[in-house]
Amino acid sequence: MLTAGPERTVTVAWRLSGHARRLVTLALAALFLAVLTRRAEFAGLAAPALLLLIPRRSALPPEIGVGLAAEADQVTEGERAAILVKITEQRDATVHVRLRPEAWITAGAAALGADGWYRLPFLAQRWGQRLVGTLEVTLHDRWRLAEGRVTVMLPRIACLPRPARLESLIVLSKLPARLGEHAARAPGEGVEFAGVREFVPGDRQRRINWPATTRRGSLQLNTFAAERAQVTVIVLDVSIDLGPAGFSTADLAGRAAAGAAAAYLAARDRVGLISFGQQLRWLSPATGRRQAERIMAMIALDSPDGEPLGSVTRLPNAALPPGALIIVVSPLLNMRLIEALRELRERGFATIVIDVLRTEPDVGLRGRRNRAMALLARRIWRMEQDAIRFSLRELGIPVVSWDGMSSLDEPLAAYTRRALVNQP
Amino acid sequence: MSAPASQGATPARAVIASAVPLLAATVLAICVVAWAAVPMRDAHPGARPVLVVAVACAWLAILRLGAAMFASRSGVAFREPSLAEWTRSALHAFPWAEIMTVAVLALEALHPSRPWHTAALGVVVLAFLLVLHLAESGARPAVLRPVLPLIAAGLALAALSVLAATLSASGGLVALIAASAAVAVAVLALPV
Repeated sequence: MLTAGPERTVTVAWRLSGHARRLVTLALAALFLAVLTRRAEFAGLAAPALLLLIPRRSALPPEIGVGLAAEADQVTEGERAAILVKITEQRDATVHVRLRPEAWITAGAAALGADGWYRLPFLAQRWGQRLVGTLEVTLHDRWRLAEGRVTVMLPRIACLPRPARLESLIVLSKLPARLGEHAARAPGEGVEFAGVREFVPGDRQRRINWPATTRRGSLQLNTFAAERAQVTVIVLDVSIDLGPAGFSTADLAGRAAAGAAAAYLAARDRVGLISFGQQLRWLSPATGRRQAERIMAMIALDSPDGEPLGSVTRLPNAALPPGALIIVVSPLLNMRLIEALRELRERGFATIVIDVLRTEPDVGLRGRRNRAMALLARRIWRMEQDAIRFSLRELGIPVVSWDGMSSLDEPLAAYTRRALVNQP
Repeated sequence: MSAPASQGATPARAVIASAVPLLAATVLAICVVAWAAVPMRDAHPGARPVLVVAVACAWLAILRLGAAMFASRSGVAFREPSLAEWTRSALHAFPWAEIMTVAVLALEALHPSRPWHTAALGVVVLAFLLVLHLAESGARPAVLRPVLPLIAAGLALAALSVLAATLSASGGLVALIAASAAVAVAVLALPV
């Protein structure tokens, strides 16, 4: 449902249009040549331009009303949306509306609807809370000799990250005693076959495995795996952003975190989020659609809440229930986070890192003379990064690399085939 | 990633529709410069540099128009500032169409008096300016309907001036009329 925003009155700055300036130039140049050369035909050449300039003094509106609305309060990356604009009090001036977009969106051509609203379509291509751009309204008088311009700053729009695809989930070997959809190692009342054992009085007769009973000569019983819910905490590291717009480490981290949260929530798991940005913010694990909305909002929207990153020494206990799976989405450039990961592992949490670093920093050395120095600096940086990843693997924290284009299933394949052991 | 298509017209039809005014402006610019230049052998020796300026300004005016039309069609995200962007801003640094108009009139003035030729040049220059305006603003030719009587009256006055020139009217009278008209133009061009 479209809702009209508050209409505002904007002052129009009128000036000569480009067309009028050219007519003035033609008329003045021709008349000057007529005087200079004393040739009447040049005065005649100026006549049409001169006559076209006469009706310029028409009633021009000093102000116009601009009403703004958005098709949706928030959009998702790759989704088409539109800003709606209504111009009023323009009298008989013709109106041309144009969206000057910010760098994160692709703008389309404006179209006037039958209801009098201009529709300015755009395609959102980077998550976050960002300005859409500026609205440029150009007015022409009836004779197209005066041109009025109005520029209105458009409000911010929240763009949610496009969740990365994740179909196979990492499941821990030991799950908390909470009913869910993951087959646990412990026997229970689930539907996944676990094995066969000797019948003992009190067992349900409908579970007797008759072929096994016939072979062994004693009553045998089918056993099933218990079904448990997992607690998953996603650590989103956007404290350092590196790389080209749209494919920077923060862009990729947001998409991976959104994809992982959506996949685990769809499996009825409890999912929490720790956002490691300019400030440390977290959401305690919970299930359901409301939690999905809260997680997406925390990823996409800026908020002054949370602890300043400088005062944080360890990740908050309240956000880390015992036995939780920790999925860290990070470029592994923040040493404070790396220390927190080591500490998490020491506390016995099963942790896996999705590395979203796809680019190398500019070392800032230019010129042929500095080329060798730049190569050396880059090599040292690469070695440092390799050392960080090696040390994490040595601690038992797997590090997988995600390119931002493919499904998350590909890098995580080695850990989704079997249960991840969550005891040190 | 594709830009959202405008409602109504298909992209191919929209491209053709926007290319027609550009093509018309190009043809008229060529006609204006060629008409003012020929025959060069009768012209004053100073006509050659003026012709070079007129040709250069005509092309720059057309390039500026094309660049403006292209810029209005491409609002692609994450576009890096490029050489094309720099060229576009350079093209907008000067009013090339106005300079071309002055150069073309100067070129005509450097030829011996030929009243009907000058009147025809005036018609073509006016047509060029109108087409340039339509292409620039994306307006339809119908927006010029209210000014058609004024254009007709102007052309009639131009024809009268040609008659006056052919009948060898007094140069002093022509100068007086032209100066008065120049003052009128200046008054009309005052800020709104």
